[in-house]
Amino acid sequence: MIKKRIQSLLLHLILIFLVVLTITPFVWMLLSSFKTNAEINAIQSSFLPREFTFSNYSSVQSRFNFLRYFFNSLLVTLSVTALVAYTSTLTGYVLEKNRFRGRNAVFTLVLATMMIPWFVTIIPKYSIMLKLGWLNMYSALIVPAALSGFGIFMMKQALASLPNEMLEAGRMDGASEWYILHRIVFPMSRNAIASIVIFQFLWSWEDYLWPFLVINSESKQVLAVGLRLFSGRYSTDYGGLFAAAAISILPVILIYSLFQKQFIDGLAASSVKG
Amino acid sequence: MKKAALWMTLLVLVFTGCSGGSSSGKNLSEDTTAQKNLPVLGENVKFDPNILINDGKPIEVEFWIWDAEEIFQEIIDGFEEIYPNVSIKLVKQPWQDYWTKLPLALQNGSGPALFAIHNSQHENLINYLEPYDIDVEDLKADFTGVEGHVIDGKVHYIDYGMMTGSIFYNKDLWQDAGLTEADIPETWDEFTSVARKLTKTDGKGYITQAGFNYNQDVKSIIMGLNYQKGQMMFGEDQRTINMDNPITVENMQFLIDLYEKHEVGSKDFGINDSESFGQGQSAMVYKWGWFYNALVNDYPDINFGVFAMPAPSGQVPFAYDRYNGESTMGISATNSSADKELAQAFIRYFMSNDQAMKDLCLLYSVFPAKKSLVENDEVKNHPVMKTLAPCVDRLIWPGPFPGIIETQMQQTFEEIIYNGADINAAVRAGNESIMEDMKGSEFVSTERRYKYINEL
Repeated sequence: MIKKRIQSLLLHLILIFLVVLTITPFVWMLLSSFKTNAEINAIQSSFLPREFTFSNYSSVQSRFNFLRYFFNSLLVTLSVTALVAYTSTLTGYVLEKNRFRGRNAVFTLVLATMMIPWFVTIIPKYSIMLKLGWLNMYSALIVPAALSGFGIFMMKQALASLPNEMLEAGRMDGASEWYILHRIVFPMSRNAIASIVIFQFLWSWEDYLWPFLVINSESKQVLAVGLRLFSGRYSTDYGGLFAAAAISILPVILIYSLFQKQFIDGLAASSVKG
Repeated sequence: MKKAALWMTLLVLVFTGCSGGSSSGKNLSEDTTAQKNLPVLGENVKFDPNILINDGKPIEVEFWIWDAEEIFQEIIDGFEEIYPNVSIKLVKQPWQDYWTKLPLALQNGSGPALFAIHNSQHENLINYLEPYDIDVEDLKADFTGVEGHVIDGKVHYIDYGMMTGSIFYNKDLWQDAGLTEADIPETWDEFTSVARKLTKTDGKGYITQAGFNYNQDVKSIIMGLNYQKGQMMFGEDQRTINMDNPITVENMQFLIDLYEKHEVGSKDFGINDSESFGQGQSAMVYKWGWFYNALVNDYPDINFGVFAMPAPSGQVPFAYDRYNGESTMGISATNSSADKELAQAFIRYFMSNDQAMKDLCLLYSVFPAKKSLVENDEVKNHPVMKTLAPCVDRLIWPGPFPGIIETQMQQTFEEIIYNGADINAAVRAGNESIMEDMKGSEFVSTERRYKYINEL
């Protein structure tokens, strides 16, 4: 009994240590957003602000149109996330539950897209956007991101645990493939979809280089690009940067809180092929 | 189904409703009066406002910058006031990736008509730059340093100012050490002696106040020290980098001795000399002109002064330091002819506008290239300019060399300081790396055009 308690205590101590290690940089950033730049840069700095200031938050909007950038990011990220969740489930379903010639070749091709470093594709992607006349349009941010190799892979794995008998029963009752997809596959893959939603939301929300390259207009620019404006040629406004970053992570936290349970279940499910 | 329809509607809106380029949202009206009875601006480079731009029809262009939006906006406002059919939209881009995005956009004609330039990106941009439609002789009459920018009888940009290094010192710490204005050093020996007086240590011998801190700017100091001793940065062919030489080794050793022998600072005393000075922990730093406003804005409590680079002896050195030009804006060669016409007019307006030039010079504390500004009171009384004025004649511009040279030099010197690499070996390896990186570069140095080159 005592041995178990000691083991449990030790485990908890290790976990607490890891939690502290993980969240300290975030808490430091949050607290530093209430410090002046001089205090942030001080060599003998303190964890808590010596003098609380809200000026970093109040001046965020004056540096660039923060709200506009924020809602642009929200629009793009929600669109991409919704599309990826849908296309990943659709493609995962086709590849896992349908037998056709070249199925494995298609899946290999999907996996291959995950192996190519993203920066290699930037120039050809840019040229395609230019040819399509999509530069400076949201479509340049949304359409190329609508299909995700990772999402397809994950959904294919997750759908392997979905009993074929259930789909067969649907077919015997006269359900079409679309009906089965929308009425059986989607509801039964909620956990895996939640995982993709969280991953994709985070990646899209943080994506910087692609939006920076294809969007010229300030009215369409996204928040990740706006955050870079705090770093000038010679110096960085750390206070402003931390304040803007603190606000910008709120949607990510919200999405994670909403889908947390399904996320964990989904990860577990997709890691085991049934 | 309803949900799917909603999503489809949203996507259609995204793809169609948000199409097209950016717009300033300004109401532009047609300009019907060429003769506006406005005076012609400028002495030699002239701007005649009594013209129509784009035949008076509305036109909008973009102007990309990474900084100084207020000053550029003022210039734009002045220009737009003359031409009601013109809109120049200022777009601020992050400095870090500006040089990735700009060439990509210019390459395919989707870039801005006007854009800020840094000459370290000369080779990256030159193919996309439209030459200025201004007579070079007129430019030479109004500006210094034009010769270095002439390509086939034309310029694609010139310098509006010259930035160089000075020693910034903390006046309060100076006073605490019992030093006065009379102690401002003129030679490096005097400098070392002053730095020692300004250094403080704790009981264990650890530095608590550095007399001199160079923990970020080694490459710039070495380049300046080399010029002081007549060591040019490039070989006789003006193309081959010449960092591997006894003078570089000697100067590197001098900087190491400052820390290790004279103990006026330490490589472990923070990694950022600017911040250390701003915090009042370092009494002297070597910095370029931009540092003046950075201190005023970020560290308003620091009471600081500026003095010129000391020299090897009491005599006037071969040169005091290196300088680099802050460039005027570029015009896109890939934009439409209407965009170019507007951009050319804007450049003339900017070049003949003393107020705008002066504001930009003061922002970065750069010595004006425009001759009419040299005697301007605001310029003359600016602490950095006042320091530079007697030395400006003896500053060398090596030309718009690729940024990789500075990056490699800094790495080499940091390898010596922080990792204890052998100076000779590190300098030789650094030189070879730069030569490797410069393969394919068409850069030709302008340093041998230096006025006093014959003193070598």
